[in-house]
Amino acid sequence: MATAVLILDEDRRVEYVNASGEMLFTPIDSIGCTLPALFASCGATGRDDVFASVDAGIDPTTVRVRLTDDRLLDCTLRLLSSGGFVLSMDDVTELVRTAELAQRDALTGLANRASLRDQLVERLQAAGHSKQSVAVLYIDLDRFKAVNDTLGHPIGDILLCKVANRIKSAIREGDIVARLGGDEFAVIQSKATQPQAAKNLAARLVDLIGRAYAVEGQMLHIGVSIGVAFFPNDGHEPDVLFKNADLALYRAKAEGRGCYRFYEPGMDERMQARRALEIDLRRALALKQLEVVYQPQIELATNRIVGFEALIRWRHPERGGVSPADFIPLAEEIGVIVPIGEWVLRTACMQAAAWAEPLSIAVNLSPIQFRGGKLIETVRSALVHSGLPASRLEVEITEGALLDSNDDVLQVLNELRTLGVRISMDDFGTGYSSLSYLQNFPFDKVKIDQSFVRNIDANPERRAIVRAITGLAAALGMKTTAEGVETEAELDCIRSEGCTDVQGYLTGRPQSAESAAALVASLSRTPAASGAAQ
Amino acid sequence: MTEALHRLVYYSRNRITGTPAALAEAITSILAASQVNNARMDVTGALMFNAGCFAQVLEGPRTAVEEIFERIQQDERHGDVSLLAFDPAPARVFERWSMGFVGASVSDAARYGALAQESGFDPARMTGEALFETLHRLALEEESRSA
Repeated sequence: MATAVLILDEDRRVEYVNASGEMLFTPIDSIGCTLPALFASCGATGRDDVFASVDAGIDPTTVRVRLTDDRLLDCTLRLLSSGGFVLSMDDVTELVRTAELAQRDALTGLANRASLRDQLVERLQAAGHSKQSVAVLYIDLDRFKAVNDTLGHPIGDILLCKVANRIKSAIREGDIVARLGGDEFAVIQSKATQPQAAKNLAARLVDLIGRAYAVEGQMLHIGVSIGVAFFPNDGHEPDVLFKNADLALYRAKAEGRGCYRFYEPGMDERMQARRALEIDLRRALALKQLEVVYQPQIELATNRIVGFEALIRWRHPERGGVSPADFIPLAEEIGVIVPIGEWVLRTACMQAAAWAEPLSIAVNLSPIQFRGGKLIETVRSALVHSGLPASRLEVEITEGALLDSNDDVLQVLNELRTLGVRISMDDFGTGYSSLSYLQNFPFDKVKIDQSFVRNIDANPERRAIVRAITGLAAALGMKTTAEGVETEAELDCIRSEGCTDVQGYLTGRPQSAESAAALVASLSRTPAASGAAQ
Repeated sequence: MTEALHRLVYYSRNRITGTPAALAEAITSILAASQVNNARMDVTGALMFNAGCFAQVLEGPRTAVEEIFERIQQDERHGDVSLLAFDPAPARVFERWSMGFVGASVSDAARYGALAQESGFDPARMTGEALFETLHRLALEEESRSA
């Protein structure tokens, strides 16, 4: 609609109205009416303000008037030299509504990120004056992606709305809730006694959002991680507070999810260091910084090398050798363990296939590789491409893989077994060591963690544990490999306690593919050679 | 609305603290509120308070059951809510109960609820099916007593 224009005389009565103006006030004939009367007839609020600046003797400013039908008019008054006024009125209803919509998240109706930031700016100003604390809570759902992926976006969207409602039910009046996008939410809490109020709210949200949902006939379970930063202690600027709340959230995620963490100084540096490591790790495979090395496994009955375990090494040009203990958990967390694990598998199969003797090759599988349903295909493809018989491949899994979702993992293990691949339980004794694992799946071998082997000769308890494991494994028809044997005394001990195989620095260090191949070749030349004598 | 009938079974830990009288009053108010809401939304079911736990069966049109359950989840008086079952149901079992209170009387449940564990009944150790059957049996006993 075009601008409505009214000309008023010095008594503020309407002298002239243009067509737009007539339309605006229809059915009232505005000629001769005073402006306040005209506005009153439309139920306008804020009508006195139009003349306020004139009456105060200052330059007129634009005033927004709301009519009873919720239309919004921006009114600008100009003085005429005759003593009268020109009032121009623009209908800004649509404009304002669109702008309001732009402040909202379309799905949940919560404030969006931009609006949250604007409101935080206001809260910080108010809090700064009154020297009060303001808490920023970053809220991120755990396992939401799985719901979305398996049940579809429509169910995911309903779930997000329920989460939004639960958050709203937990906050106090005056707190601001926003959806930042995806499965991320935020709450701003002001005028509260901090940090207690934020602590209470975060604990309540962890409980509340973690409770089951009934959606479209489905029972859904998700969790939530929360990071909290406080004004003024953790920052004065909105963006600093957001960043620090995010860092604290990151910590909550890293520490097992389903919990909340407050920001602490130093989180930033650790995060930067981690992020740098992450970037390097993502490139490591492409830049050929990874290498597979091979550690001999010796059968105690014959003292012969019967196979090798493939182990990964990362040599970074600046970092030097990075310990697998440092980068494997990160690789699992960011998912690159899948391509890295596949590369190790293919490389190990290829190199073992070229050995002079048909020794076995053991490859570690991460729990993450069991997800996604592609593991069997990958193993089959690695075997076909390398020409390695399945009977020479042994995969090692930790209890972590079995913890995930037992049935799926057991099915994959059974399929591997059907292919002819052997399965070992790695690091036995360090996790839950649930005997039901041994019962539910017939492992070919149990590898006893090195923590039970170290100094076993001087430690009767360790000796008793190893004896128990070997006895159990023997009864179940499984072999036992003692890991991490470093001294002759340890070797004697584990031999007498019934271990069938051994792997450790004493009997053979991890070595390059070339050395391993040469070692295998030397075995075939001297049939009586003793691997353990190395 | 001809939405498929669903049945939902859950139990939760009581978070109401105070004297048995205060607890009985709270349970009565929960019951009264849910009877009004459930009747309006065409939901039937039974509530039991025992061994410090609430156990409840809700049956009705799916969206109504989901809505009521969501309200329960947001209720601070419940803690550790465990959703045991949520499935389509062929027919209503608590036809005559907008929300029946079964088992001991409210005041007895409030007074002796904590002791009931010794009797071997603990909702936390039951499956959705077993809990549903327990509530159903108690409801039938209640009906025959009042008949």
